[in-house]
Amino acid sequence: MKQPILSVRDLHYVYGNGQAGLDGVNIDINEGEKIAVIGSNGAGKSTFFLNVNGVLKAERGEIIYRGTTITRKNLKELRKNIGIVFQDADNQIIASTVRAEVGFGPMNLKLPKEEVIKRVDEALTYMNILDFKDRPPHYLSGGEKKKVSIADIIAMKSEIIIFDEPTVALDPLNAEMLEEVLEKLSREEKTMLISTHDVDFAYRWAERIIVFCQGKIIADGSPLEIFQNEEVLKQSNLKQPMLLNVYESLVQKQLVADEKTYPRSIEEFQKMIQAIS
Amino acid sequence: MNEMMLLLLCGLLAAVFLLAEVRQHNHAHEGTHHRHKIGHKHGEGFVIDMHAYASKISHWNPTFKVILAIVTLVLCIALNNPCVSLAVLIAMAYLTMVKGGLSVSEYLSVMMIPIVFILLGTLAIAIEFSYQPIGQYNLHCGFFYVYTSQDKLKEMIFLILKVFAAVSALQMMTLSTPSSEIISVMRKAHVPTLIIELMNIIYRYIFILLDVYSKMKNSADSRQGYCDFRTSCYTFGGVAGNMLIVSLKKANVYYDAMESRCYDGEMVFLEEEKKVAAGQIIAAAIFVVLLLMLWWFTK
Ligand SMILES: Nc1ncnc2c1ncn2[C@@H]1O[C@H](COP(=O)(O)OP(=O)(O)O)[C@@H](O)[C@H]1O
Ligand SMILES: [Mg+2]
Repeated sequence: MKQPILSVRDLHYVYGNGQAGLDGVNIDINEGEKIAVIGSNGAGKSTFFLNVNGVLKAERGEIIYRGTTITRKNLKELRKNIGIVFQDADNQIIASTVRAEVGFGPMNLKLPKEEVIKRVDEALTYMNILDFKDRPPHYLSGGEKKKVSIADIIAMKSEIIIFDEPTVALDPLNAEMLEEVLEKLSREEKTMLISTHDVDFAYRWAERIIVFCQGKIIADGSPLEIFQNEEVLKQSNLKQPMLLNVYESLVQKQLVADEKTYPRSIEEFQKMIQAIS
Repeated sequence: MNEMMLLLLCGLLAAVFLLAEVRQHNHAHEGTHHRHKIGHKHGEGFVIDMHAYASKISHWNPTFKVILAIVTLVLCIALNNPCVSLAVLIAMAYLTMVKGGLSVSEYLSVMMIPIVFILLGTLAIAIEFSYQPIGQYNLHCGFFYVYTSQDKLKEMIFLILKVFAAVSALQMMTLSTPSSEIISVMRKAHVPTLIIELMNIIYRYIFILLDVYSKMKNSADSRQGYCDFRTSCYTFGGVAGNMLIVSLKKANVYYDAMESRCYDGEMVFLEEEKKVAAGQIIAAAIFVVLLLMLWWFTK
């Protein structure tokens, strides 16, 4: 079996005010996986991400990146290879031009200037916002800011990209743009973790789903396994994805043969319907 | 240590906001017709910033512009000559409006910001008080006289001219150079890094907090939070307190976001290299020589 790119062993984190953030988290993440992280508000998703990125330092447990255990000394290795796109772009954008903003990560990596410029141009082209280069971030719209915050991470060329609730503040058009970007990234075999409350999106996009509840991982498996598990859904106050629900109802009423096809997107569903009629 | 810096900064900014609020509040009572003037609702700093990005000479090398502005300013003050002042005034207006593409009315409105201070300040030089009509021109005011003379008036006008010329030189710089570039010029001039970093963060932070602030204010407004004076005061207190908490929290999140992108205590931003054209330097040199000659011949 292949070695996981990132392993987390028995991670505990308590906030300064005594509030428990993580309470014994264990997980192995393999290269190229598309993982959706779900769980109600305050379940510990963001805390987990910040720990995995080495921003928060857990009091107990260990993080292993590509076989090396992370200590204080090689923390930077972790931050270099794992990038977080924060929930609120305004909490991430630090510089006063888009160019300087996207260049912030590569500059911190102490790359030569030509390389930084090249990466900034690449990242901006990747996100289709090359003409924003000289604009100050405070005159950008919400969706544009989100694009900039994603370009930030792309410019760092991290191996694992984490998106913390990326769809929350986006309108449908921008949400679609985001999914296109995710599609593009997954074609490049990037490992991705996305926290979301949108079960339909998780069902459609993810290969694997992790469910957080009160600082623990209570379930970890394929979308189908997770969303058919009543117990887990109830515990984390989640609903079944619409498509799964519809499919199961159709099967129950014997309108559709029980072939376990489980369409994951509208297109797949339409294809299935077409096949019957 | 850096986290402390950010926290401190937030506290500072919260204080600034209290002041801004008081000013805005006074404005709000003057009627709603101010509202639709873009930019003005956020105070003058905001407007100038906008002009800098729109300016057609914003692609000029910032160091060049800053040096030109400072040299002009120094000459203007050191030479102390009305002809030089006039020349500077015209040249800077030309750069800002013709080269930079700023409209005349916008330029005038920016230039008029300090007019009250200048008039009040220079008036004190021109006029004097006495019980007897001893001046060249006297104005009888009850039991005393306000008097002045032609020389004094001339002195006042020349002074006004000089101040305006100096202001126009600086405005040429601020109306064509985004703040981030001015900060980067200061960095090249070896201003301490702490100050440079603070300026960078403050600049970005101002816009974020303005945003938060206007949201909070609107939400309070929509719940009748400003219906009368008493309630307004109460709401203002609440919003101000909240602003402080929010800025503290934001500082924390911000620091996390910076750390996650490998920030290690040294903030360096990527800056664009803007080339200086040889023609620009020659033109600037000729301008300076002309000013000196003007001074020499009208001395
Ligand atoms: N900065 C903080 N200080 C104290 N407690 C916090 C902080 N951030 C989060 N928490 C607490 O940690 C728990 C997990 O929060 P979080 O990881 O943000 O959840 P999620 O991202 O899943 O909504 C919550 O109970 C929350 O109240
Ligand atoms: Mg969260």
